[in-house]
Amino acid sequence: MEQNEEKVEEIFVQEGVLLLSGPASHIEYMKLTGTLYITRYEKHENEYSTIFIEWKPNENLTIDSDIQDQEWAVVNTVEKRTRTLSGSLIPEEANRSKYLRVNFDTIKSFKVANSGRKILFNDGRGDVICTFSFQNGNSTCFIASLRQHIKTAPSRRDKNLYIVVGEIGNNDKQIETSFKTLSLFPDDHNYMWSFVKNFQHRPYETTMEAFAKVTNIGNYFWNYYFLEYLIVYNERPLDDETKEVLNKSIIAIESATTTHTQDDYEVVANVPKLPDRKDCPRSKPLTKEQWLDLQNCEGKIEDVDGIKLLIFRGGVTPSLRKSVWKYLLNYYSWESTQKERDQVTKDKKEEYYRMKTQWMTMTKMQEDNFSDYRERKSLIEKDVNRTDRAYDFYAGDNNPHLQLLNDILMTYVMYNFDLGYVQGMSDLLSPILYLLQDEVDAFWCFVGFMEKVLSNFDIDQAGMKEQLQHLHTLLAFTEPELSTYLDNHDSGNMFFCFRWLLVWFKRELNQEDVMKLWEVLWTGLPCQNFHLLICLAILETEKRALMDNNYGFTEILKHINELSLKLNVNFLLNKAEGIYRQIEEATHANDNVRDIVGLPKLENGNMDSPNTASFTYLESSADHASVNIDTNEVSYERGISNSYL
Amino acid sequence: MRPTNKNTMLKVVILGDGGVGKSCLMNRFVSNHFDEHSFHTIGVEFLNKDIEIDGETYTLQIWDTAGQERFKTLRTPFYRGSDICLLTYAVDDKVSFRNLSMWKNEFLYYADVKEHLHFPFIVVGNKSDISNEEREVSQIELESWCNENGICNCIETSAKNASNVQEAFKMAVQYWLKAESRADKNEYSCNDTIDLTKKSGESRSSCCIGATEE
Repeated sequence: MEQNEEKVEEIFVQEGVLLLSGPASHIEYMKLTGTLYITRYEKHENEYSTIFIEWKPNENLTIDSDIQDQEWAVVNTVEKRTRTLSGSLIPEEANRSKYLRVNFDTIKSFKVANSGRKILFNDGRGDVICTFSFQNGNSTCFIASLRQHIKTAPSRRDKNLYIVVGEIGNNDKQIETSFKTLSLFPDDHNYMWSFVKNFQHRPYETTMEAFAKVTNIGNYFWNYYFLEYLIVYNERPLDDETKEVLNKSIIAIESATTTHTQDDYEVVANVPKLPDRKDCPRSKPLTKEQWLDLQNCEGKIEDVDGIKLLIFRGGVTPSLRKSVWKYLLNYYSWESTQKERDQVTKDKKEEYYRMKTQWMTMTKMQEDNFSDYRERKSLIEKDVNRTDRAYDFYAGDNNPHLQLLNDILMTYVMYNFDLGYVQGMSDLLSPILYLLQDEVDAFWCFVGFMEKVLSNFDIDQAGMKEQLQHLHTLLAFTEPELSTYLDNHDSGNMFFCFRWLLVWFKRELNQEDVMKLWEVLWTGLPCQNFHLLICLAILETEKRALMDNNYGFTEILKHINELSLKLNVNFLLNKAEGIYRQIEEATHANDNVRDIVGLPKLENGNMDSPNTASFTYLESSADHASVNIDTNEVSYERGISNSYL
Repeated sequence: MRPTNKNTMLKVVILGDGGVGKSCLMNRFVSNHFDEHSFHTIGVEFLNKDIEIDGETYTLQIWDTAGQERFKTLRTPFYRGSDICLLTYAVDDKVSFRNLSMWKNEFLYYADVKEHLHFPFIVVGNKSDISNEEREVSQIELESWCNENGICNCIETSAKNASNVQEAFKMAVQYWLKAESRADKNEYSCNDTIDLTKKSGESRSSCCIGATEE
């Protein structure tokens, strides 16, 4: 679009502005410093706004080395680091093409970040049009100037987000045109109005369901325009009740929508409240008396469910762990008699030593010709030397317990050569060996634990990715605000929880607490994937710290990493169970959420609430019922593929 | 010219086989602390540290990742946007030295670096404190590998006795500055406050800088 001959009014000019991201056409100018303008052109036929933002790189192509925002670079696929060489210097006559010009009609919102030093322009369809970083000072003057010409509505949810409503002095026409493109309503103005009037006779949540439908057809910003239009520009007097409904609707749209950078603008379903959190106090640990009481004369456990429940509620008295863990880790079957267990012990011991002999008798020549084996052996040696060395049990040079760790892991390599040894496994073994203090028992209990977490060590890490994804799905349900925040801060892939999940919080807790947590988790109660709910409990606890400090990708990672040894297990178990009860009772939990925690699917299949049916009058399109079942998941997939590819 | 009134943040990624001492190098550099038995890294960690070079302060954001092949898909997203890459091995571990090429390629593939030739790689041979009997990789081998792979900077370090650790990171920043000024060189003449520009001309084969030269 050549605009050379046009009349241009420069409304605002600011130098020292770095282009952080932008359209592909300007990829070579990214990370360059330039000048940012607000300009007004003469009216164009196809553009609703005459206001543009423009940016051009400095004539001297300064390579700016100051990337304030490294986290941006980690996840943003558009990101290209341009180290412009002399060869790519743009000849003067081609300078016009350097201009990045964006009409305000295409900008639906903008967000200020980094204490005003960064500004992002959104296109309302989930993409960031461009991002600038203010190298000298901040964006305050720019925004002040902008707001003299563009009507913006500060977001009620995020004080750094501004919704672009329209050009000042040009509002009515513009918005009306916008509505026409919606093709949602007949041209008759009154139809729109009657639609809104209906709101006040309906329950609030039903109203929002209707908006979800609208949004499937148009998008979030059309709704926003629509509501703003009705509140601000409509000549009809609004009664207070209607105003209230509309205001609430705007707030709900904001809070239910991701309003910044990723592709989740489509979700505009009001999120109903979870049922109240119940306090789920912990009980006393399982005692020796209880344990013996629940066994019959043959040593068979009579009430397995009862025992598991007791363990879930209070853990196991430390002195009893040695016995109970063998059941929890499937070394002994719960239904076995003492006699059967004696036999198992004998058989398993033999089997263990047979496997151990296999690697111990390997000759030097065999080893030299077996690189996969050598690789596993060498890594085990290295990791055993750096596993829990701060604990007395593993401290000091030539500690015999280190040899046991090594031998068990080596034998596990022979037991499951394909999996071999993966970092993290020594962390899982260490507390088990410490507790059982017996090589064979520890090995088989370790095997039992590995069975439960095998997918954590998949060669392609598919199991870990799936868990991170599940965690995101659950978080989006229980803490949508935090989930949205994380999405908007390049953290929707939940990378920062990786360590928690890989070794079940082993690095986050001291030895005693790890044992307490694991034995509870091993019961499989109150639901499957309960460890993900522990994550939710931690995240909920840290929510304010993360959000109030406006942490970005790196700070979130750092904050989470630094929680190590600062967590309270009982508090988290209590909270996590409370969260489970909420999910269980919530009538709006969709099947994705229910499936993760092992609840049966709902009769009606998805999250369509009963209220939805009454809104058929809105219907102009056959697929109105296709509310995205879990858009968070979709956006997560996207995040993951962005990050992993 | 490059602005001088503010810190420059540089993203540094430390790569190398498991157990070569990546976390130890980072911890020695950042907090001058060494723990022989510190945990192996799970996931990703990073620390910040300021370093002053020629009167300018640079903040290094140092990323440390798990070295096992298995965790590749969770590690590589963090390469993007790196300014400097430390390729590390242990001088008592030949295999870790042989894997340098793999690490270099993995980095280049995922970091989305435009100028492969001039990207500031620094090769770091850690555990230089070990006895001669235990040594499996000589300084000569290191230098010749670097020559063959077009890397101008290598250094042997010991996170354990702190030898050359500061120097390794300093060297990395200096090389980064050089790569940056190479990028601007048609705009500006080379900044002569950078030592390394004198030592190395355009010919890449003659510019290996060993530990002893620091």
